[in-house]
Amino acid sequence: MSIYEKIGGEAAVDAAVDIFYRKVLADDRINEFFDTVDMESQHTKQKAFLTMAFGGPNSYTGKDMREAHKNMKLTEDHFNAVAENLVATLQDLNVGQEEIDAIIAVCLTVKDDVLNV
Amino acid sequence: MTAIVFEGEPITLDEGETVLDGLLRLGHSIPHGCRSGVCQSCLLSATEIDKVANAQTGLSEAQKQLNFFLGCQCLPTEAMTVARVDADVSRIKATVMEKTQLNDQVWRLRLTADLDYRPGQYVTLWRDENLARSYSLASTHEQPWLEFHIRHYPEGEFSSWLVESLSKDDTLELNGPLGQFFYTAQSEDPMLMIAMGTGLAPIWGIVNEALMKQHRGPIEVVVGAKQAKDFYYREELGALQAQFDNLQVHWLSLDSDSPETANLYDYCQSNFSQLSDHKVYLCGGTSFVKKLRRYAFMAGASMRDIYADTFIAFGGEPG
Ligand SMILES: Cc1cc2nc3c(=O)[nH]c(=O)nc-3n(C[C@H](O)[C@H](O)[C@H](O)COP(=O)(O)OP(=O)(O)OC[C@H]3O[C@@H](n4cnc5c(N)ncnc54)[C@H](O)[C@@H]3O)c2cc1C
Ligand code: FES
Repeated sequence: MSIYEKIGGEAAVDAAVDIFYRKVLADDRINEFFDTVDMESQHTKQKAFLTMAFGGPNSYTGKDMREAHKNMKLTEDHFNAVAENLVATLQDLNVGQEEIDAIIAVCLTVKDDVLNV
Repeated sequence: MTAIVFEGEPITLDEGETVLDGLLRLGHSIPHGCRSGVCQSCLLSATEIDKVANAQTGLSEAQKQLNFFLGCQCLPTEAMTVARVDADVSRIKATVMEKTQLNDQVWRLRLTADLDYRPGQYVTLWRDENLARSYSLASTHEQPWLEFHIRHYPEGEFSSWLVESLSKDDTLELNGPLGQFFYTAQSEDPMLMIAMGTGLAPIWGIVNEALMKQHRGPIEVVVGAKQAKDFYYREELGALQAQFDNLQVHWLSLDSDSPETANLYDYCQSNFSQLSDHKVYLCGGTSFVKKLRRYAFMAGASMRDIYADTFIAFGGEPG
């Protein structure tokens, strides 16, 4: 069973996305990247990101990740801040440490693409 | 660069140019309004449906079947064949039943037309082939007319025409209904509805529908304006509030004597700080909706439960 199925599939993503997006909007280290006019489409992007991180069905490729974050001048600190918010979200939802580790491992696989290095 | 064919004429679109912009650049007279995918006045039809699928957001199933699409949202990547849409298919006729001035700025327009809609949705009204603007529906089904609350901008093309030239028994065309801004709550859900200016129009429609459908949860309505004299429907909302225990209306204006009610944003943050499980309805201009959406979300409302209608300015952003 994939982590995605283990933590509850799409319903888990739905539960996580509001919490996660609220956390990043409140985080001064990174909220400038998320606080756009079109909150709804930003919210949809976060949902796609979480689906990917949870190992669910998604159409993201490394190339999309690279393209989407181009010119944003993201640093390691930004990446870590997002990861921290993700961990805190999963803890709020009582996801086990083992699953959290597996989810963060997925995020690390796209790190270079996100940072465009 | 993409080559398309418009009513038999080959046309080359510039890089990143929409079908609408290309046709206008070449001097074709194509109806249009918001250029944002909202008003649906720029409907065109295509021969190849799959090439316009991403320019069909918000269209009805019937319109999609007819291969209609929004010219302002269409950036073709390959050749396609495009034509105008017959107005008889996309619009209906409406007749002016009543036009009443509600205060210095706001006019109430009542039209009769055969339209199936939900209170709070909007339609696009047409002055003529070249001018269309969207307005929200304030009426409910019990009323045999469509009601609109229209703010008069002295420089505004449509609203000035409405104030100066439109009279009883005149006819005009409209298309719609459009949008998802209507009552969907469960009877017990707490509702918070925040309107700025004529943003009250759809909210008035939704409140009335909710009460008619015996909504039992608390309904808080917050109405904002620059000055207290810009308020309208105070008596009407007061009468509803007297009749229904679960309805509470708050009037906030910048010129208010009490600091409490002078700032809508602060007022909402301190009075409605916990919005989880709420259905939230927001209606007003672009920056108002943006700010209030963020507030509602941070106060715990789920993104799914925040409904917003933005009165984007058609003639270019004000200022
Ligand atoms: C979905 C939707 C629903 C709407 N519902 C309503 C409604 O119920 N009631 C209503 O009154 N309006 C509503 N509007 C706004 C309406 O469609 C027009 O934009 C508005 O009436 C102005 O049109 P106009 O032709 O008079 O002015 P335009 O000719 O388009 O504009 C001319 C000038 O007027 C001023 N102006 C126009 N709009 C604004 C603005 N929003 N804020 C500040 N200055 C402005 C600007 O100086 C602008 O340059 C809605 C818009 C949308 C998108
Ligand atoms: S939807 Fe295209 S101009 Fe309004």
